[in-house]
Amino acid sequence: MQEKNHILKILKKTQESLQKKDYIRIKSLSDKIIHQASTEQDPDIISLAIIIYSLSKLIERESYKTEKNWNKFYSDYIKNIKDMIQALEKNNLEKFRYEIESNRILIEKLSGKLKQFIEDVFRKARVNKASKIYEHGISMEKTAKILGITIWELTEYAGQTKTGDINLAVTIPIEKRIKIAEEIFK
Amino acid sequence: MTNQIILDSGPLINLSMNCLLNILPKMKQKLNIEFLITKEVKYEIIDHPSKINRFKLGALRLKYLFDKKIINHAKLNNQEINQLRETRNRITQIANTTFKTRNKHLHILDKGESAALALSIILKEKTKKNIPIIIDERTTRMLCENPENLRELLSKKFHTTIKANTSNYNEFKDFKIIRSTELAYIAYKKGFINSKDPEILEAILYGLKFKGCSISEEEIKEIIKL
Repeated sequence: MQEKNHILKILKKTQESLQKKDYIRIKSLSDKIIHQASTEQDPDIISLAIIIYSLSKLIERESYKTEKNWNKFYSDYIKNIKDMIQALEKNNLEKFRYEIESNRILIEKLSGKLKQFIEDVFRKARVNKASKIYEHGISMEKTAKILGITIWELTEYAGQTKTGDINLAVTIPIEKRIKIAEEIFK
Repeated sequence: MTNQIILDSGPLINLSMNCLLNILPKMKQKLNIEFLITKEVKYEIIDHPSKINRFKLGALRLKYLFDKKIINHAKLNNQEINQLRETRNRITQIANTTFKTRNKHLHILDKGESAALALSIILKEKTKKNIPIIIDERTTRMLCENPENLRELLSKKFHTTIKANTSNYNEFKDFKIIRSTELAYIAYKKGFINSKDPEILEAILYGLKFKGCSISEEEIKEIIKL
């Protein structure tokens, strides 16, 4: 895994922000992994971006917190992040990847409404991170595949962003493109 | 004479989400257009979403068009199918070794987008015509039309210098690309849109933009003025 120190720094900052319940900072920290996720396209790095983004949502929203098993789930989630930090500090990448997998199992073990809530948070986090990777210049299909979502979800979400509005994306003048279209359909 | 056009998955999903699929049968019938898709696109627009409740309706609408042969697979013999697969893999490989960060090539395209480009190449060899492709997503279009802009965009987003193997640019320079917005504009001009509302064109263009067509507001404003 490349740039292990960068990941470790992000995880430590996440832990700090967690104590202050600073979900806005945690959200932005998850974006800082996206450069690396877009380059490496390593499933574990992508999962980590999703785990951190989802954490910001778990802190932000109040609705889950009255659910049975919430306290246990949340403390296990926090411990999971701590274990990831320890694994990276010891340069134990195998353990780090094991902890990423443990996070998935944590959610799998849930049941009832809480499971539905958390799965929904994770699904939305996947789409959010996919949109960020698409913004980075990776194609829509490639991005959807990396994140394990459908193009239907991504196209809808990406449409709300400004990806088409940046000047560099205007590759030929619109009059010329319309002329091409008129020529095709004459 | 029939004009062939290749559709990527994005524009079909977009038209489905905006309830604009009815322009395709009209265009096929009145303008003698044959809309073609690859097997990768069929998987993305019909086979896979048919199993997801949230997207099932949209997928079924597209399946109806496929069953009615409004959108088709290209008629290729076995040799051409093999050639298509090889060309698709070659394009994917070239696209994914065109841009490089400090130490790693950026994998920017997947099989589906490459297959649409490959089909255009195969059909060009067969018909001696440059078969256009309708693509809404930004990366493939930029790679074909202005790869230097794409390199610059990648550099900005990754906050690092991106090196390009510029000899690869030639592989992508000859494709003819339009988006769902230009398709809708033509449908509007030809009277295939069932609305007399003076703002309908603007509404359609924004509808397509907000469901994933990579078009700027400035471009939309210019189209409306035309």
